[in-house]
Amino acid sequence: MSKDPLKNNHHLQKKLDEYHVNIPDFPMKPNRWERLINLLASPTRDPLEPFLSTSGGLLLLKLAPIMGAAIIAIIQMLIFL
Amino acid sequence: MTLNDQIDKLMLAYQNGDDAVLDQIYMMLRQPLYSFIYRYSRDEQLSIDIVQDTFIKLQRHKHDYNPDKGKLKSYLFQIAYRLMVTKLNRRKKWRNLLPFLTPSEAEDFHHSDRIVVRDAVTKLPGIQRAVIILFYYHDVPQRDIATILEIPKGTVKSRLHAAIQKLKQELEVEDYE
Repeated sequence: MSKDPLKNNHHLQKKLDEYHVNIPDFPMKPNRWERLINLLASPTRDPLEPFLSTSGGLLLLKLAPIMGAAIIAIIQMLIFL
Repeated sequence: MTLNDQIDKLMLAYQNGDDAVLDQIYMMLRQPLYSFIYRYSRDEQLSIDIVQDTFIKLQRHKHDYNPDKGKLKSYLFQIAYRLMVTKLNRRKKWRNLLPFLTPSEAEDFHHSDRIVVRDAVTKLPGIQRAVIILFYYHDVPQRDIATILEIPKGTVKSRLHAAIQKLKQELEVEDYE
């Protein structure tokens, strides 16, 4: 191997040595069910958060189901009446 | 006999039909594989999945490993790196399609120094990050790093140099060369 580029960088080596990793205990064979549960249980961002932060967005969220129901009712009236 | 030679000897026994030694190989390489993937991705579940998938691949294609081409450790690092890159790219595509699936950041802020180092390593571009992790934390020779990451040896050298300079800058380490 060529000359170690980190040889004279003792301070950088010291900093890098502070990066420890804790190894969890896990088996060699994966458990598909456990993987699915972990995927479903992983935390995600709230998709409605941008709406909740403004009063206009909050109002839109409240009105959206009413407007949706009204649109469906109109479509049904157009089809069946 | 070095640890890597012992692992290669166990692998030879595994290839010759001694299935019991696989557990020993797993116990010896689980930790370096996990820490490599974790330092790169900082995702615990992904790191576990990749280590397990790497060993599944080893079991399915145990005769594909050729000791003349390199050490088993480097071979498994290469498999793990490929699996991780594929998984991260797939995840990126899904997140572009469905942005609300992006997980929220959950970090512990108890050890400020450690977090600075972690963040500095995470901020490095992908190849530089992989090069510095393999070189510094796993003592992988530059020739083997080139094989694992499928890049020329000259690129390994330049990426390593760039990564060191960036880390010095990020961590505000003075140059004592």
